[in-house]
Amino acid sequence: MIMNIVEFKNVDKLYPHEHTPAIRNISFSVSEGEFVCIIGSSGCGKTTILKLIAGLEMPTSGSIKKPEKVAMAFQNGALFPWLSVFENVAFGLRVKGIPEHEIAHAVEEQLQATHMLALHDKYPVDLSGGQRQRVGIARALAVDPAVLLLDEPFSALDPKTTAELHDDVLRIWRETKKTIVMVSHLIEEAVGLADRVILMREGGIDSQYPITLPHPRHEQGAAFMHDVQRIRKEFFK
Amino acid sequence: MKHPQHGHHMHHIATPYPVTFRERMYTIFLGPLLVVALMYAAYSFYPLLAPPSGQVLSLSTIVVAALYTCVRLAIAYVLAVVVAIPLAIAVTQNATVEAFLLPVFDILESIPILALFPVIIIIFINFNFLNGAAIFILFLSMLWNIVFTLVGGLKIIPQDIIYAARVFGLSGLPFVRRVILPALVPQLVTGSILAVAQGWNLIIVAEVLHTYIPHGTTAQDLFGVGSILVSAAANAQNQVFLAAVVVMVVLIGLMNFFVWQKLLHFAQRFRFE
Repeated sequence: MIMNIVEFKNVDKLYPHEHTPAIRNISFSVSEGEFVCIIGSSGCGKTTILKLIAGLEMPTSGSIKKPEKVAMAFQNGALFPWLSVFENVAFGLRVKGIPEHEIAHAVEEQLQATHMLALHDKYPVDLSGGQRQRVGIARALAVDPAVLLLDEPFSALDPKTTAELHDDVLRIWRETKKTIVMVSHLIEEAVGLADRVILMREGGIDSQYPITLPHPRHEQGAAFMHDVQRIRKEFFK
Repeated sequence: MKHPQHGHHMHHIATPYPVTFRERMYTIFLGPLLVVALMYAAYSFYPLLAPPSGQVLSLSTIVVAALYTCVRLAIAYVLAVVVAIPLAIAVTQNATVEAFLLPVFDILESIPILALFPVIIIIFINFNFLNGAAIFILFLSMLWNIVFTLVGGLKIIPQDIIYAARVFGLSGLPFVRRVILPALVPQLVTGSILAVAQGWNLIIVAEVLHTYIPHGTTAQDLFGVGSILVSAAANAQNQVFLAAVVVMVVLIGLMNFFVWQKLLHFAQRFRFE
């Protein structure tokens, strides 16, 4: 039996000084090893869900089951400009007080996986957008999280870099069997990557779509476009 | 320390301060040199109205006095930084505290420091600690410069950077040490430059205590370049006055050259884009 690693039950989140809740009565679950993508137009509450899973925010009501070890990669990498690539990736491990030799080992492993090992002594200012994103993902993976959260990680990148990173994320997902919850505003991206697409609207879950196509999905032609169109119709309803 | 500005792929980064040795020389020494030359010319064309009086100081005495002044400024500066950092962090912790404290700081800042000076002196004279009065007034003149620059710096830390640290469970003092303090380095440097400049402005007051003490005598002045400037002017010792200005300008120039410019360069690494 497949375990639910994340479970939301009737969750509301109302931010202080705001009148309408960011999310309303959200119930859904993510099973272990699943790749879920939440899509929706801006302000629909999709990032709030990530923040709740990450423990950055507390729900106003309802209950959330989530694992202890969660890590997150952000839109523009959110790297610390004063730390080298190596030190950025080591950040979470240093916070947890992991011994130095273990840190070196874990960081190298993640830099290898994200093809950033050669640039380990560079600083964020020296990196391209795609490279920063790779470091951001490596930093999240370094703490060996049970759930990896991706907050629109590819939205600021050019198409070629985006495609390369898509491939890398899929490869990492296959190799590590991590549970991934990603937020995106691109339907093609969601259908191209996830096992399941959750469409959100005005703080609620509108509909969910399991995607069963084999990878690489962009090569599936009509079948891929069929799934995209199905969601697009609902998205723009 | 790496210097990315010199890498070929770094051309897109604007350098808001002079980088090359020659540029730094120009900005630091040319301006002050011009001021001194003008003063010298003015003294030459307009001879003294009154004959010089009092004891004439040697150049080495003036240099030692300037070092005394530097020590007072340094102590005041360190105190100001130590107080300013927690104050700035406390203010920005939450909206309610900020709404209350920022106006209070604004009012405190707007009180002319010189108006407080006689009161400060009376307090310190009771403890027979006149250096303390000078250091305290220098400290006050520096404090708000640093506090407000830091508050500005705290507000431009990107939310995602804070989240990125919090996701790893970072909070409290470790969060301050690993995220807030590094993020504030650029503002700490610019705030410090402003603060120390403000301190130099005030030394001609801070060291000349006798003018603020009822029936005070010059014996109550503190040995320093500020009190030398004032007494040289009062006694029409123009050579001493000019020498003191030159010593001061050279010291400030050396500080800029060897400390502030290097710190400005170093701080680039800590900037968010």
